[in-house]
Amino acid sequence: MFHYKNSKMKNIVGIATLFCMIALLFSSCKKDWLERTPKDIILEEQVWNDPVMITGLLANYYDRFPTETGLEGNFRNAANYADAMWSGYSGEDWRNNIINYGFESWRYWDYGLIRDINLALESIEAYGEDLSDIEKAEFSAELRFQRAFIYFEMVKRMGGVPLVTSQLIYDYSGDPSALQLPRAKESEIYDFIASEVDAIKDQLGNSDSHTRANKYTALALKSRAMLYAGSLAKYNNQMGNPVQTANGEVGIPASLADDYYRKSLEASLEIINSGVYSLYQNNPEPGANFQELFLSKADNPEVIFAKDFLSEKNKRHGFTYENIVRSVREDNLASSGITPGLGLVESYEYLDGSNGKLKIRNSDNSDFIYYDDPADLFANKDGRLYGTVIYPGSTFKGLEIEIQAGVMVWNASTNAYQTIEGSALGSNHTDGDLLTSAAGPHRSIQEVSNTGFYLKKYVDIGAGTSTRGILSDVWWVWFRLGEIYLNAAEAAFELGQANAVDYVNVLRERAGFGSNSLSNLTLERIRNERRVELAFEDHRLWDLKRWRTAHSVWNGNASNEQAMIYALYPYRVIRPSDPARDGKYVFVKMQAPRFRAPRFFRVENYYSSIAQEVRNNNPKITPNPGH
Amino acid sequence: MDFFIEKMTTHRHLKKIGLFLSLFCCLLVPLYTSAQTNKQEIVTGKVTDVNGEPLTGVSVLLKNSQIGTSTDNDGNFSLLIPTREGVLEFSYMGFQKQEQPVTSGEPANIQMIADQEALSEVVVVGYGTQTKASITGAVSSIQSEDIVRTPAVSATSALVGKIPGITSRTTDSRPGNGTNLQIRNLGAPLYVIDGVPYSMNDQTTAFGLNSGVSGQNMFNNLGIEDIESITVLKDASAAVYGLRASNGVVLVTTKKGRKNEQASINLTSYYGLQNFTRFPRVANAGQYVRGLLESVQNLGGDPSLLYSPEELANWEAGTEKGYKTYDYYDIVTRKNVPQAYISLNTSGGTERSNYYFAVSHVNQDAILKDFNFNRTNLQANLSTNIANGLTLGAQVSGRIEDRHNVGVPGLDDYFNPLLSIFSMWPTESPYANDNPNYVHQTHNVNVNPATYTDNITGYVDEITRAMNVNINAQYDFNFGLTVKGLYSYNYTNQDFDGFEYTYKAYRYNEATDTYEDRDPSSGALYGNQNPWREKHKRNVVSNFAQIQLNYEKQFGDHFISGVAAYERSENENSYLAIHSVPPNNYVPLMNFSTQDYLADEWAIEARAGYVGRINYNYKQRYLVELLGRYDGSFLYHGDQRWGFFPGVSLGWRLSDESFMKNMTEGILDDLKLRASYGETGSELGLGDPPAMFSYIGGYNFNQGSAVLDGNYIIGLRPRGLPITNLSWVTNKTLNFGIDFTLFEQKLTGQFDVFERRRSGLPAPKYDVLLPAEVGYTLPVDNLNSDGTRGMDGAIGYTNRIGELDYSIGVNATIGRLRSLETYKPRFGNAWEEYRYSVEDRWANVNWGYEVVGQFQSQDEIDHHSVNNDGQGNRSQLPGDLIYKDVNGDGIINDMDERPIGYAQGALPYFNYGINGSFSIKRFTLSFDFSGGGMQSFFRNWELKYPFQNNGNLIEYFASDHWHRVDPYNPNSEWVAGTYPAFRKDVNNHNNFRKSSFWLTNVRYFRLRNLELAYSLPTRIIEKVGLKNVRIFANGTNLFSIDNVKDFGIDPEISSENGLIYPQQKLYNFGINVSL
Repeated sequence: MFHYKNSKMKNIVGIATLFCMIALLFSSCKKDWLERTPKDIILEEQVWNDPVMITGLLANYYDRFPTETGLEGNFRNAANYADAMWSGYSGEDWRNNIINYGFESWRYWDYGLIRDINLALESIEAYGEDLSDIEKAEFSAELRFQRAFIYFEMVKRMGGVPLVTSQLIYDYSGDPSALQLPRAKESEIYDFIASEVDAIKDQLGNSDSHTRANKYTALALKSRAMLYAGSLAKYNNQMGNPVQTANGEVGIPASLADDYYRKSLEASLEIINSGVYSLYQNNPEPGANFQELFLSKADNPEVIFAKDFLSEKNKRHGFTYENIVRSVREDNLASSGITPGLGLVESYEYLDGSNGKLKIRNSDNSDFIYYDDPADLFANKDGRLYGTVIYPGSTFKGLEIEIQAGVMVWNASTNAYQTIEGSALGSNHTDGDLLTSAAGPHRSIQEVSNTGFYLKKYVDIGAGTSTRGILSDVWWVWFRLGEIYLNAAEAAFELGQANAVDYVNVLRERAGFGSNSLSNLTLERIRNERRVELAFEDHRLWDLKRWRTAHSVWNGNASNEQAMIYALYPYRVIRPSDPARDGKYVFVKMQAPRFRAPRFFRVENYYSSIAQEVRNNNPKITPNPGH
Repeated sequence: MDFFIEKMTTHRHLKKIGLFLSLFCCLLVPLYTSAQTNKQEIVTGKVTDVNGEPLTGVSVLLKNSQIGTSTDNDGNFSLLIPTREGVLEFSYMGFQKQEQPVTSGEPANIQMIADQEALSEVVVVGYGTQTKASITGAVSSIQSEDIVRTPAVSATSALVGKIPGITSRTTDSRPGNGTNLQIRNLGAPLYVIDGVPYSMNDQTTAFGLNSGVSGQNMFNNLGIEDIESITVLKDASAAVYGLRASNGVVLVTTKKGRKNEQASINLTSYYGLQNFTRFPRVANAGQYVRGLLESVQNLGGDPSLLYSPEELANWEAGTEKGYKTYDYYDIVTRKNVPQAYISLNTSGGTERSNYYFAVSHVNQDAILKDFNFNRTNLQANLSTNIANGLTLGAQVSGRIEDRHNVGVPGLDDYFNPLLSIFSMWPTESPYANDNPNYVHQTHNVNVNPATYTDNITGYVDEITRAMNVNINAQYDFNFGLTVKGLYSYNYTNQDFDGFEYTYKAYRYNEATDTYEDRDPSSGALYGNQNPWREKHKRNVVSNFAQIQLNYEKQFGDHFISGVAAYERSENENSYLAIHSVPPNNYVPLMNFSTQDYLADEWAIEARAGYVGRINYNYKQRYLVELLGRYDGSFLYHGDQRWGFFPGVSLGWRLSDESFMKNMTEGILDDLKLRASYGETGSELGLGDPPAMFSYIGGYNFNQGSAVLDGNYIIGLRPRGLPITNLSWVTNKTLNFGIDFTLFEQKLTGQFDVFERRRSGLPAPKYDVLLPAEVGYTLPVDNLNSDGTRGMDGAIGYTNRIGELDYSIGVNATIGRLRSLETYKPRFGNAWEEYRYSVEDRWANVNWGYEVVGQFQSQDEIDHHSVNNDGQGNRSQLPGDLIYKDVNGDGIINDMDERPIGYAQGALPYFNYGINGSFSIKRFTLSFDFSGGGMQSFFRNWELKYPFQNNGNLIEYFASDHWHRVDPYNPNSEWVAGTYPAFRKDVNNHNNFRKSSFWLTNVRYFRLRNLELAYSLPTRIIEKVGLKNVRIFANGTNLFSIDNVKDFGIDPEISSENGLIYPQQKLYNFGINVSL
């Protein structure tokens, strides 16, 4: 193409070409090659004048509210300390074999969230110039509700904690000792919750919301927190050796009990009397109604505050996938995780008001009681049992759930029954009829009930919700009117008010008992009502703790039925020589085979230990008793 | 007959040319009579190797002139030289350079001697090449022929045991996977391919697939025949790569054509058959049923509820109908699974240009049915001198990787099929009633291997398409200066396409002779009702630009060279994933109405650096190298971004000193002492991969969202304190080495000792104790230090005895991390200090209990004075493990833990290799052994818990454990065994503590490769126009001598439950053809 005159010319062209190339390479020079712009970080100035962004922060904080046994990953903890055991994946069987609860159990020290809330409170005030005063006030009140909620979660687990209500800013001086705050008294945290609720309740908006805090959400928090404080003040001091520290970080003086009960009752009554909420009574059948209470989001007048999920936006949980009855699971894994024990089932009374103990043996204990249909054993019980637990012969998703462990074959020569159980689920006996049903129970197979019962409360009935591909968006109820009635009943009872029984009767009537089914109330009755009404709603552990009964209920003694999980196994009788018994069903009560260690709650478990790291970093933090 | 004719013809041609030239000369003679001394001469000759085989393309050069040529296909050359005097220089890659004076009128026939370790050999180093004699750093290299000897799919696997300084562990060998490699156990090295460093972000997705952006991944997926050489920079020599070079550098060079090389075409192909080296076997039905009964007995239950004695007898006999045993290892795995490879390349060159073109394809089926990996590579390397001094070049490569998996529910598709071997009960059949039309609804149909086929459960395809273009220009000034420019663009695209079907499963109802697809009572469907459809698309774009100045000049005895460069790189990774719930199994196209998930992710990397190096030597005897790099990374705050990393190395070629020469004549050919010190950086403390923008505060968008009032509200979360103080971790590497060649280059060796100290390892300053109540933590600072110490070396011997040529080489590497100093360590008491201090201690020591025996009887348990289980020995049975009460306090607890092993899952601290070859006539036998030690394997899960996951027993439990003679009689005699008595699902039993019983300090020595090759005689293949035909058979992983054979596992796996795709034993047959 070109004819170069000489090689020198060639050289010049060559060099020129090379430098053109190099120039080209670096011509797209960015200002600073190493300075890049992130794509998912919002800067300070973009937040505080934008209500949408602030709502995004609130959403993040709501999402961080803790549960001990909720619907997400930690629901499994219900096997550790609710009225249930673990029947799922055998790798989690340690939950049935807890020799004692570790001191770090239910520890919670989330000052990261406290800091984030304080930061938002201060920044809205400082930078939120474009917000209206109402917006500012509402956002601030909502943030303060969140902070009070978190302090309640901390105080019920840890006792008094440092009360931090503004950002603690380190100046990089090398000496952070000015940031070291001591623990507040246990009572001071409860008092803070009460005063915050009082201060913000009339500033909160969200009046129709079930998922953001409004006036009644704040009052519900107060109702529960003050009840806890009252019972702690009363029952801790009734212990031989009250759990307490010299400075009151743990331990509330007994003299404050009545005041707290009164505050609780006032808050409860303000909710009840407001008429804003009413008990869920959309289904005339009490059991089904109680089940629906937790599944129905639309037109649910009872729920005050919930953590909501939404499948279509991929906000969902695997609670149904993990806990659905084995025989109706839609996926081919999981199911049967949390299975209620016999103890809970028997705590539901018969509708005639008699004790809920199931009638499985005849009066002199010489023989079984024979039932034509397994469901007959559970007839005429508190409707809340049907709404909470799946038992042999009850229905779920319109299907009758068959639960049968095996057969009892009469052996005339030994004059006794021989028990035969299937080594696989859904197996038939040699007589061609059912041996072990597809839902078990089974003594050793994983992912099938070990107790003979399954969970119904919170388990979704929507098609496909037990598959991993679809999952469930049933919401988690933080506060509902039913609890408020029970809070009112307990506070009123503790205050010696005669109308306490009315609040309980309201709930019992909804459960299928007649109106005014109780005429007088005892402490035991109130506590049993909470056990059956609020089962699997993350109450049992906290209730036992605040009543200071946990160490006696879960005393680590295998002969103490309350410390163990019991199972009830149904069998079909094969006794052709005795037509009155042949083909009937009998029930055997036993310690659940996979449940291996009695629950053992030590007095030192009433408050979680404070992490060593936390104490290292702040020497003013005193340990909890016994740690 | 044709052959002779052709030869004669050629000869005649030569004669003709000779005659012509002679005539021409005669004509010229009168004209130039005055120039008698310049009389021209034609020199002819033939170049062969020691076996007499002609060598093609040997460069023949008249010394001190520009006159030269190269040999033709028959090894012949002819060269017109201006005088009758002179010396011819013969040089050829891999052979010793030879000189021969011209003897007028006589043909210059010469035999070239293979010379792999020749001092003049050129080694690729950072930013250039050096001769072996002048290298001062700890550098090892390997050439193409040693790489391709292992029929590996991935380049890393081909390096194992062949280079001193490399440690390796092949933990997961699924098709397409490589080997975990490190240099001196320092961590993941930086890969530089044809001068371009690539990302070190080597992440594996949850689906077990590489995210396809790292240098290691690029290296693994190069066409293996396209690699010319690999160099490993181990010490200060790596400092020239600065901030990411702390773990050493692997330099890869792809093949090029040579100037004036005749076009050659090479074909390589092989076909092999793969089998697992080892995989744990499981119990048969009889053993399984008996084990379950024993477990019930040992837990105090009634075994007859589970199986009656008659049923047990039937299962153990296995002959009655309905009592058949199924071996799921045989059902899941296939035998003799094919692996095939073909590669075709051509290279050549003219005076001004050279080229290399290649295409290759590798296809590897998995031992699991329907799983496959295949890859096609294209490579074109061109270089042309377009004007005097100016050279332009391009290296273009492309590849398509296709991984096909069966769409197994769950994430990693390889996991469940292997799990099913352990999880399926031997008492249940994969097909209902053994009818292959009906998948059996087994106790857990999710692990029923009958479902693991494309047409039942679906598929996952991951296709990677990558293109890499390097364009370079170089201008050589005539005074020793060279300017180079390099631009590289890499585009990698990954398409993930997964569809998991719903499927039916059945139970056979014998009474009605029907196959039921649902539970008869509840109506719940069997099989899988969880449809899943997901697509991911990842695009990774890497840019790299470099400008480089090189200077090189010899001034008398002084040689000086220098390099200066500026370069910068960028890597942008974007990822999009969508998921839907498909309404049927038929339509793979997704639509919006069923879509329920979308992820959109983005990541960036950007770096820049200034590079400098100066080399000086005096008579090639005293060698000095100084290097440095000023490097910057986007990861750090503006003030902390840049760092300087210097290095220096010295060499002394002792053998060149006259006093040595006299003493060691004929023994010592070369002896060089080396010392080096260098500093490099590493980007630690921000996570792995390092978190971007940690120096920016603000709020993370889309984190922790909530549903408020029925609407999904995207969450916004405050970020922690910005990290503005953190910078590089500085690595200081010290190395002393020796290189030697003895006995006329028969024995060569290299030995190095080294230490790398890291200072400034990120850690929190805990004397500034920020209370947790402030709600944030102080950013980490560069505080702690550690050191990796070790040595590596290699020795090789090459000789010939009669017709036998042989060579043998041994190399070994030991490298171990030691924690040196942490920031103000603090302990509560002496025990804590003993147990948790890391001050000046080897890192990653494995602590556990020492097992001193097993209880032989209930009586021994009752009288055991130590509380072995923390429960007064209530939970103990004969056969249970007795722990050593080290502190003598009468109870076994964590105070009794002692060091019992090395790191788990890490690379072995000690690796070695033995390589050799024997050639006689046309046969060559070559072998590569590799070995390792100082690594620990902890058996856990399936390998520790009987009936783990409600599954089967591992065979070693079943055949050798403590049990009572009669599972139905709780008072019958105990029978002793190796493993404790079974207690199903009691996984927190004290038998299962981490102890010397379950932890094995693994040692192995394996034959990694054995090859027998035969080259067909030239005179036969020449007839069909071929230059070279070599056929070979080889075997990979033929045997291993190790201490984990009894557990049924490959010694290199690290998965604690053994649930991993082990290495293959491969029998392979292949051919190389050149024309």
